[in-house]
Order: sequence, then C-alpha cells, then structure tokens
Amino acid sequence: MQYSQKVLDHFMKPHNIGKLENPDATATEGSPACGDQVSIYIKVNPETMVIDDIKFQSYGCASNIATASIITDMAKGKTLKEAKKISWKEAADALDGLPPVKMHCSVLAVDTLRKAIKEYEVKHHLAQKDKFSKDLIIDELKKVIYPKVGEDIITLKMVKYVGFLEGVAIIDVDIPKFDKYRDNIAEEIREHLEKFTEIKKIKITM
Amino acid sequence: MKRIYFDNCVTSKPAPEVIEAMLPYLKEKFYFPQNFVLEGSEIQNDLERFRKIIADSINSKSEEIHFTNGGTSANNLGIKGFLTENSDKGTHIITSVIDYPDLLTNAAFFEKSGFDITYLGSDQEGFLDLDELEAAIRDDTILFMTTMVNHVVGTVQPLTEIRRILDRSGHKIAFLVDAGQAYGRIPIDVKTMGIDLMSVSAHKIHGPQGVGALFQREGISLSPTKHGVNRIDNLETGGISIASLAGFAKAVELAFDNFNDNTSKIRQLSNYLLNKIEENIPHIILNGPRGEKRSPHNMNISFEYIEGEAIMMMLDLAGITVATGSACASQGLKPNYVLMALGRDHAQSHGSIKFTFSRYNTKKEIDYTVQKLTEVISELRSRSPLYNKEL
Repeated sequence: MQYSQKVLDHFMKPHNIGKLENPDATATEGSPACGDQVSIYIKVNPETMVIDDIKFQSYGCASNIATASIITDMAKGKTLKEAKKISWKEAADALDGLPPVKMHCSVLAVDTLRKAIKEYEVKHHLAQKDKFSKDLIIDELKKVIYPKVGEDIITLKMVKYVGFLEGVAIIDVDIPKFDKYRDNIAEEIREHLEKFTEIKKIKITM
Repeated sequence: MKRIYFDNCVTSKPAPEVIEAMLPYLKEKFYFPQNFVLEGSEIQNDLERFRKIIADSINSKSEEIHFTNGGTSANNLGIKGFLTENSDKGTHIITSVIDYPDLLTNAAFFEKSGFDITYLGSDQEGFLDLDELEAAIRDDTILFMTTMVNHVVGTVQPLTEIRRILDRSGHKIAFLVDAGQAYGRIPIDVKTMGIDLMSVSAHKIHGPQGVGALFQREGISLSPTKHGVNRIDNLETGGISIASLAGFAKAVELAFDNFNDNTSKIRQLSNYLLNKIEENIPHIILNGPRGEKRSPHNMNISFEYIEGEAIMMMLDLAGITVATGSACASQGLKPNYVLMALGRDHAQSHGSIKFTFSRYNTKKEIDYTVQKLTEVISELRSRSPLYNKEL
C-alpha cells in the first residue's frame, strides 16, 4: 500500500465535504480531463478576516480527496493571510507524506484554496487581480510536479527558459526523451497555462 | 471475509491441483531432460506429455509448441524471431492502436530499426476495421499482429475473417496472435483460424507465473532471439522451470477438460454483474461489446462523474480487487489508451473499472461487490462537483 493511514482516513471519511450555502468566495481548479477537479467554498468573518467555515467537493483520486480534506482542516480558523501561506508540502506532511506521483494532488488543493482567498480579497478590494507577466508563468510552472520525485519542475531546475512575447509563451524543459512522464509534463504545462487569456499560444520545447 | 479477486486478466490464483502437480519437480524430480540417463529421460518424457497437452488444447502438433518463460517471452520470440528471419521478404507490419503492449512496444522497436508499421483503428466496441486492414495490405507486408481478446475491454477479434483477408492479398502474410486473454476462455483452433504464431501464458489460467508457450506453425521460420544453451527449447534457450511447465500442463487440463462448463459459468457471472450494476447504478457506460462477441471473463464499465482510482481504492478497502483505466492509477499518468481509442473521453476513461473473472468467483461475491460498489459510487458522487452540477 502506497498511501499512509492518514491519507486513507481522510479519503474514507473526508472532513468539510460538501457545498456551502451562500459562500463568500469559491474557486474551482483542475478539470475532469486532467483527472482531478476540486471546488472550495469559504465563509470569512469580515472583521477578523478569519475563515469561519470552509467546504470542498472533489472529482478525483484518493489523494486528491485526502489533500482537499486536510487543507480545509488546516485553513479553518486561520486568517486569510495565514491560510494563504499553507504550502502543498505542509499539506503533504500533514498527511504523513504522499507518494511522489501523487504530489500534484496537494498542489491542486492548495492552489484552489489560494484562488478562493484571492477571489474574496478582490471582491472586497483587499487585493487586485494578478497582473499578467512572465513571473506569473513561472509561478504557475511551480505547480507542475515531476511525478518521479514529487517536486515541481522549477525547483528541480528542469525549466531552462521561459519567454513571453506577443501572446506566445515559450517554455524549454530539460527532460530525457525516454522519460515516461515526458508527455505528462508537457500536458500539465499546457493545462496550467491555458487558463491565461493573455497566452494565445504555448510552445514547449523538450 | 476472504478477499474477492476480480483482476484475473493480470494474473490468477494457481489452482491447488497445479501446485500439487509442480511439487515433485521441486523435490525429487529436479533434473533437466537428458538422453540415455534414467532421470533425464523421464523428464524428457514428462516434457513431451506437457507439450502434447498444450498442443491438443489449440489443435496443433506437439512439434509446433515452444515452451517459453512467459507470455511476453513468447510474443518477443514470435515477433523478433519472425521479423529477423524474414525481413528480406518485406518490411511492412500491420497491427492496431488497441493491441497489447507486447505487440505495440515491439512494433515501436522495429519502426526504429527501419520497418514500416500501419496501426489500424478500432470502432467504439473495440473491433478492428477490416476494410482498413484490407486497404493497408501492401506487397511488402509480411506480418499482421493482433490481440485475440482485447486486454482492456474483452472484445474478441474475428480471426477467421482476418485470415481470409490476409490470404486475399495473394502473398504470404504471417498472422501472429496474442492469445494471453483468450486462451482457456474462448475456443482456439490454430488450424481453422489460420494462425501462424500465437502466444499463451500459464498464470492467466490458474497456472504458475513465469511460463508460457509460443505456437509456431510448421513452415514458418524464426531466428533465435536468445542465444545460449539448448536445455528445454531450441529457441527459448537456457533453463525453463520444469515444475512450472508441469503446473502449466495441469492448468491447461483443468481449463480444457471442462471447457464449456468453465466458460459458461464465467459468462454467467460476468453477465450477472453487468445486470446487477445496470439495475442498481445509474449513469454507467459499458466499454466493449455486449454478449458473445466479448470474452466471458471481462466486464469493463465507466461510472460517470467520478474517478476510477478512488473507486478502486474504496473497493480495495472493502476487500475487493479490481482494476481501473484512470490516469491516476497508471504508470505514466495517462488515461487508458484502449478506452481513448474506442472514443471514450478522458473523464469516461478515468472513471472506468475493469472486473475480470475466473471459475473460482461466485455469485455471492458478486452480490457483495455490487452492494459495496453501489455504496462507493453513491458516496463518491456525493463528493463530486460534476455530479451535483449535472443533476
């Protein structure tokens, strides 16, 4: 069995599962085509900025459900500022680890939480929408996990070049031809970048 | 409760009689065959008996059977041996996008070394397009390879019709069949089906792991692919576990002595599962054909709005082993290529569960499984944002 007991516990009996009536903010990340999708709903106390209530729904595998469950536990009762800082590594640690090939699940859960917080902040004029830039592309690539080791491709220095010019994003990735995750990485990069309306074309060289 | 096993297409539990048949060769009869020496001659005779049992089960001659170290070894010997020996006659091979990885990885290997490969498509039920096959045949086509029973959706390819098409070409095209899933589950007659090379495996029919056989029709020549000492088989050189071969022969006897009873029992079980699921669970898609054109042991169903690894895990924790076509459970994190070729979308492929049966499964096990499955599907759908949105 590759999953820890804690993953299995959260998978079988997830905490904070379901939808919130009249949430203050919601976010959905992933898609059925990618194999996992998470929706997070939050209620925030406008005075203290504390997340009073949080729920999630998940279309995904055991680790997807478990990471969404633990991350909602971790965020509940925290201020938006604190909750934003929860990292996918902390989420994975709280589950007593995840198999490397499943690390992207915790990235998705954390990402969805951050999106929900951002939505709240933008709605209440506490923050502005992120301005599109090359840095945003790099931030997005930090969510692409190399399944063999369970680290992101930026930290692993697999991304040799990132460029953005006239709507074209150019990403150069160093990954061997025979690597079984080669297509998967390219697909993941596309999925992550396609959501930016500013990007008209994605060129990936490997 | 005893574990319920529905993953018999990957490997199956060795029959108790098989283990019994193996034991003497692990204890006192540990010899390799050798002429003129008492013990070695006895082993030689035993091996000939095993060979005949396997040959009879597919209506071939004993001399046409090679023992191998498993089904993949048989496929490699058949494909590599044939292409190496016959490349002067042509370099075009035809296979399909839904074939077993043994065939596809070999095709990719030969493509790199200069062979030309045509990959046929499949219809929505997993049948090859025979018009496409006929159109793909060229003067330099020397080999057609197919998987008799598809390993994912259980579709049985019409081999006799395929042979007729190959013969219409006017020149000799060798017909290689991977029968890993078909053997012991649907009748195979290499003569009437016109098969030239065929691989089978012991552990998929309650025999031991690590042995199989290659049928090589008389007149089809193969180059050796594994060079070494000739102990048991002139092409599969080196040792082959004789205990395992004894177990293999016993497994074949058990499967074929009551062939009709065994296979009709398995078909009843798989149909029973499908009926029960259709009665109890909405929003499902059957992958592959219904009825007799499907191997009796295979049932592959997509459960919409949810993901297969989660279904598989929950069933696993309830003591039931199944398989899934979800990318999350695959080695390369990709949705199952056969289901995608059948026109399923990503989500339908991710949500697929494969149940494969053996004669040791029971109706009671299926009742329990459907009960658990109904709970699991309903639980996971209640968690899914897609299900709520749709309904």
